Amino acid sequence: MSLRQVSLRQILGRIGLWLSVFVIVSPAILFFLWMASLSLKFEIDNAAYPPVFIPENFAWKNYADVLASNRFLTYFVNSLIVTGSATGLAMLVGVPAGYGIARMAAHKSAVVILIARITPGLSYLIPLFLLFQWLGLLGTLVPQIIIHLVVTVPIVIWIMIGYFETTPLELEEAALIDGATRWQVFRHVALPIAKPGLAVAFILAVIFSWNNFVFGIVLAGRETRTLPVAVYNMISFDQLSWGPLAAAALMVTLPVLLLTVFAQRQIVAGLTAGAVKGG
Amino acid sequence: MSHHLISRRQVLAGTAAAGALGLTGFPARAEVNWKKYSGTTLEVILAKGPRGDNLQKYVKEFTDLTGIKVESEQIPEQQQRQKCVIELSSGKPSFDIVHISYHVQKRQFEKAGWLADMSGYLKDPSLTPPDLVESDFSAAGLQYARNDKGQMLSLPWSVDYFILYYNKELFQKKGVEIPKTLDEMAAAAEKLTDPKEGIYGFVGRGLRNANMAMWSNFYLNYGGEFLDAKGNILTDGPEAIEATKLYQRLLTKSAPPGVVGFNWMESMASFTQGRAAMWIDATGWAPPLEDPTASRVAGKVGYTVVPAGPKGHFSSTYGDGIGIAAASKNKEAAYLLCQWVVSKGQGARLLQAGGGVPFRSSIVDDPEVAKGVKTKEWLQSVIDSSKISKLGLPVIIPVAEFRDIVGAALTTTLSGADPATELKKAHEQFRPILERSEKA
Amino acid sequence: MSVITQASPAEPEAFSATPERTWRPPSYWPFVIPALVVVLAIIIFPWVFTIWMSLHEWKVGSPTVFVGLANYLRLPTDPRFVEAIGHTLFYTALSVVLPLIFGTLAAVVFHQKFAARGFLRGIFIMPMMATPVAIALVWTMMFHPQLGVLNYLLSLVGLPPQLWVFNPTTVIPSLVLVETWQWTPLVMLIVLGGLAAIPTEPYESAQIDGANFWQVFRFITLPLIMPFLFIAGMIRMIDAVKSFDIIFAITQGGPGSASETINLYLYSVAFVYYDIGYGSAIAVVFFLLIVALAALLLYLRKRMLWTSELGDGA
Repeated sequence: MSLRQVSLRQILGRIGLWLSVFVIVSPAILFFLWMASLSLKFEIDNAAYPPVFIPENFAWKNYADVLASNRFLTYFVNSLIVTGSATGLAMLVGVPAGYGIARMAAHKSAVVILIARITPGLSYLIPLFLLFQWLGLLGTLVPQIIIHLVVTVPIVIWIMIGYFETTPLELEEAALIDGATRWQVFRHVALPIAKPGLAVAFILAVIFSWNNFVFGIVLAGRETRTLPVAVYNMISFDQLSWGPLAAAALMVTLPVLLLTVFAQRQIVAGLTAGAVKGG
Repeated sequence: MSHHLISRRQVLAGTAAAGALGLTGFPARAEVNWKKYSGTTLEVILAKGPRGDNLQKYVKEFTDLTGIKVESEQIPEQQQRQKCVIELSSGKPSFDIVHISYHVQKRQFEKAGWLADMSGYLKDPSLTPPDLVESDFSAAGLQYARNDKGQMLSLPWSVDYFILYYNKELFQKKGVEIPKTLDEMAAAAEKLTDPKEGIYGFVGRGLRNANMAMWSNFYLNYGGEFLDAKGNILTDGPEAIEATKLYQRLLTKSAPPGVVGFNWMESMASFTQGRAAMWIDATGWAPPLEDPTASRVAGKVGYTVVPAGPKGHFSSTYGDGIGIAAASKNKEAAYLLCQWVVSKGQGARLLQAGGGVPFRSSIVDDPEVAKGVKTKEWLQSVIDSSKISKLGLPVIIPVAEFRDIVGAALTTTLSGADPATELKKAHEQFRPILERSEKA
Repeated sequence: MSVITQASPAEPEAFSATPERTWRPPSYWPFVIPALVVVLAIIIFPWVFTIWMSLHEWKVGSPTVFVGLANYLRLPTDPRFVEAIGHTLFYTALSVVLPLIFGTLAAVVFHQKFAARGFLRGIFIMPMMATPVAIALVWTMMFHPQLGVLNYLLSLVGLPPQLWVFNPTTVIPSLVLVETWQWTPLVMLIVLGGLAAIPTEPYESAQIDGANFWQVFRFITLPLIMPFLFIAGMIRMIDAVKSFDIIFAITQGGPGSASETINLYLYSVAFVYYDIGYGSAIAVVFFLLIVALAALLLYLRKRMLWTSELGDGA
């Protein structure tokens, strides 16, 4: 192989790579740009054909309308509380569970936990509604936090099982020989190595919880509604209103999109680091 | 203009109070004791839409009048229905007052006994102003609100007729007359259709379930009845087949592609873009059609009654009411709000905003109220429809199943299936469901 | 204690050898029990209740009557349910396979080093972060046969306009398009983790042997990321079978009932028709179907772990 051949191949490889990157990323970019465009147009431009990408007049009022017509801040705080608590609790019980299952190779217990994830979400609704009513918890955020655990716990456990399965046993075994308890081993040996995995589990649990809306429909009242449910309610405007609808959608999605950009380094770095050690 | 409107509206809203004060010349009666429940808080659950908007926009006036605090929220129709049913069936609903869709929920709510009887309150002069009497409600309204025993379980709030919207410009361009019969309409639709230009003669609901509301106009006008004397469903008969053939013809020959998935929203999008010449749907869409920021056809829309069929001329009618949960602890206070909701002032506002049509003749027939309606042609179509009003869905418990199953059959005919076969299949599927529900 | 005897393989020399993970002390249970308790507490009551209800004729507002297995016997004679099974399997198969393929390819690309990789990766995973209901509504606007941007894009490349979700034959593939767009990033992330776990030696020797890109992928990468593909496939399968938000927001099961999956039908029966008894029976059968599919995948994964070097799942 001559040097020139190699470099030509490399250049072609580079072009091919960039082309593939472009092809892979463009559906996401185009979609969100189009969503932004919809949210900034008046109805007359939104329903125009051929479509108008950048309108002459920006309809900033779409955003103002959404903020004015809904108690956006209340719902935002509700969402934060529900997602935050459900994810926090899930990490608390799910990370040790993932560790335990991975170390025991106890896939049978994993199946039990999987049942929660497999159960159709709709079938929780009526029984739990009646239960929470009996307990007098309706009207608070507690029912939603609890039912969101059904979503977050299995995700955390599953991610952590996969993660701990790839982290080395040797250090832990050495620590055990030195007289550490299993809890100490978990806390001081396994957990620090698994930090990047925790980030992935955390972020995925946040997404699933944040985006869930089916549970909220029945369990949320006027004061306890989460943002996706509130947005779905806006969505069903009794008029054709693509602009405000897209604006509302974008505003709800923005926190998670920002989280994506902000945390993607951690997700990816976590996966890479964990994997190198696991190799 | 708007200042003038507001002041007049305030006068109208005050009609109830004014009546109590004897200003309108009613014979002296015991006065409504508005402040009796001052300090009470009421919870109201509303379906999202112009009715709910109308309540929320002006409810402060009610609070000022009565001292009753009102906590209300609007939820999209489908979820609101679910939430109400789940909460009412649990016996401890979180609301006192519920907004119901008669055409879907009447039988269900009656049978379950979820609503409080208002008959006594209506006759109580300390709760009801003198102008509010049962006979002021239209026949359809009373049919909806009363149960078998003649008790008023709710107050009829707003009625929805189906009317024909048409694009005057497209009709003029092609020199087509406004159709008077369904056959003329189908022929006109075909004349107006020009796929090369992206113009279609007709648009309407093709979507399963939603389509039943439009189809029933055809069905009734072909002489169809939903139930026989024994309560058996009749939607596989010759009238249904004829109506479905018309439905199939209109939506396959002269409707935009994809109409099979259209609900009112998509239909309206076609119509406001000037891409559909005719549209049959509920009365409530005049405001968006006449809004120049949302519609390309503002000022060019004609409104008229649904064309007549060979065996009848009806306008499919649906309606909303407002009732009190039987489990509510504040029934009388709740009733005060209910009667305020259907008061002349609130009804006039609803009609003038184009958001709905009150069931009360004293509002619809009032020339003063009519003056405040922006689109006269629309109002005329509403008044004409009210004279040929007929319930657009059978009054049974499994209405939702009915709409889904027969609606799916209609949708299937749009892909070329035979109307008679599909209706027969749907009929076979639905009959046991109906029998089961009536037996239980 | 057994720990000490068991610990002997963990002497330093064991580090270089293939790890012998036969070491399974029972005392890891305390780690698992809290989660198990939480999960059982939240699901056991609903399940007992659901099974109890499935044996009753209970339409909301009517009295509850014990009917034994009648609700279950109704299922095979219910044409809507039978059709829904078919729709569900078709939808699921496409929604698992397509994201697995595209996600793996995307992971291979993102495993390379290039400028702004982190940023672009962030963009790429946005669809799975975004709120499904919101996304679905924007897609609905894009699918609009007359005013939608998708048909405009097709017209730019000279293709005829499509009816997308407005045609019974294209509705499921169109919905899967959304599902794939949304969930390919999840597969990509999982597979990327797998790719990063692969040691570099096989690639170096493959390069020396002159293997091409496809050969490297087929014979080195793919076998090594298999366990990760199974995790991704499992998560994808469970989510796709239960997919609700997207179908509900875009088609509500239509046109007609062409995209009515079991979950959509369950929703209609329970929350639109209020037939709680029958809905519960559907929920139970639906659950068993998902369990069957999951068991199939777990079985495959187990076998895979046996045969792979990572195997400890005996």
